[in-house]
Amino acid sequence: MQPVIRWFHQLGSPPTFDRFAARWAPIAYVLGLLVMAYGLYGALFVVPADYQQGDSFRILYIHVPSAWMSMAIFALMAVYAAIGLIWRIKLCEILAMACAPIGAAFTLITLATGSIWGKPMWGTWWDWDPRLTTELILLFLYLGVMGLYNAIDDRRAAARTAGFLSIVGVALLPVIHWSVTWWNSLHQGQTISLFGKSHMDPSMLPPLWAMVVGTHVWFIGSLLARARADNLKREAGKAWVLKMAGTE
Amino acid sequence: MMSYQNYVIAAYAVFGVVLAWDFLAPRLQLRAQLRAARLRATREAARSAAPELTR
Amino acid sequence: MMAAAAKALMLRDVRLLLRRRGDALQPALFALLVVVLFALALGAEPTTLAKVAPAVLWLAVLLAGLLALESLFRGDAEDGTLDQWMLAPVPLAWLVLTRTFMHWATSVLPLLIATPFLAELLHLPRVQLPVLLASLALGTPLLSLIGAVVAALTVGMRGSGILVALLALPLYVPVLVFGAGSVAAAAQGLDPNGALLLLGAGLVAALVLAPLAAAAALRIALS
Repeated sequence: MQPVIRWFHQLGSPPTFDRFAARWAPIAYVLGLLVMAYGLYGALFVVPADYQQGDSFRILYIHVPSAWMSMAIFALMAVYAAIGLIWRIKLCEILAMACAPIGAAFTLITLATGSIWGKPMWGTWWDWDPRLTTELILLFLYLGVMGLYNAIDDRRAAARTAGFLSIVGVALLPVIHWSVTWWNSLHQGQTISLFGKSHMDPSMLPPLWAMVVGTHVWFIGSLLARARADNLKREAGKAWVLKMAGTE
Repeated sequence: MMSYQNYVIAAYAVFGVVLAWDFLAPRLQLRAQLRAARLRATREAARSAAPELTR
Repeated sequence: MMAAAAKALMLRDVRLLLRRRGDALQPALFALLVVVLFALALGAEPTTLAKVAPAVLWLAVLLAGLLALESLFRGDAEDGTLDQWMLAPVPLAWLVLTRTFMHWATSVLPLLIATPFLAELLHLPRVQLPVLLASLALGTPLLSLIGAVVAALTVGMRGSGILVALLALPLYVPVLVFGAGSVAAAAQGLDPNGALLLLGAGLVAALVLAPLAAAAALRIALS
């Protein structure tokens, strides 16, 4: 147990984290890409076309993992922010802020692919489907966190402030989703459930799981890379940075 | 059933473009930071080599 | 001690209000302008206006309240009162709650009083007015409390007007949905009480949680 705790403590030191991130980010990127490539290949060429939705069904293999990532990253961001606020751990503040752009990216993918999938299904580029509407609000929450982080000069205060906002956001997100679902049932009578109905044939699942795993691993790589960059920016001018840059 | 192919291509293209940005943005930041650090190191070295004016 | 502090704070706010009576009317004027602009944009046809009236009125009140949020902590931040609050022997959350209540009473309550007149301008069916007022009576304090958390987080930031709006609006969505939705439900012949009760429940929860969150946010923002 002791070596694990000591490793955690050491990881909080900026130079140690820099070395750790520099080493593991590329590995995570490559691994993530490979798993995603396997998943996408399966999604495009192996899985048969859905009898209801035809080939457009293949978009699900990007849309669903991205949607899950957009939610999971938001929750993780709030967890990092909470740890950073309670225990004043600088690395957790950095990690929380590094989560935001990646989460926003996945949210954007979810919205775009949802819209593209919707065009042949609904006939329009946008429908106020409760899940897509909640995704859109989630995007605004992400952008709010990023905007707030950029608006304050002191990086630590900025991370704490934006981190607090992410915690408030995570607490209210279920309420927002619930309210939008209620609103949708009130105003639209029937709901065209885009994603609920098709029971997936077991043969269709492996590429989906591959995409879920792949996006998670990619996220780790991106998180480490962004955290490393932020870490360097905050430590700019320190001796270890100058030494490391000289030898890079 | 019209050609869904274009939609599928569009969706996958969005995925690729956004992930490409997600990969490039931190790389560019890192490159800028390391470059700035290198320049700073050279300036520091030059400053310590040339003696400061003394009274 | 807490009651005395609340009374002192409320008296101070009333005195400030009496010195600047105009300020309290500004949100109401803004709401009126929003209503006028909507009417102009939509065309003056009474049936069209009547159909969208509940939503437009809710939005006018919501946006006016959002603009008024700017003044919730600004004055106290600028003259150092907030620093004194943080050192006070009473809980910071209590002071925040009192201040938010006074801010609602002086800036938002006039909006509620103006709502029946604004409703007439938009030809809102008279039968919907009680539900609208009930939803606003429950919803606007809730908006003020949620807004207080965001305002506390951004206190002292220069040029944060639009940013505050961008941060607060996603959090406002449930209140807007249940508030405007209750009137829409009533218009459709459905029972609005479910939505109103949810607003009430949200208000009760916010009365406890929002001041605590805003106090934490103030400490973070002013640290």
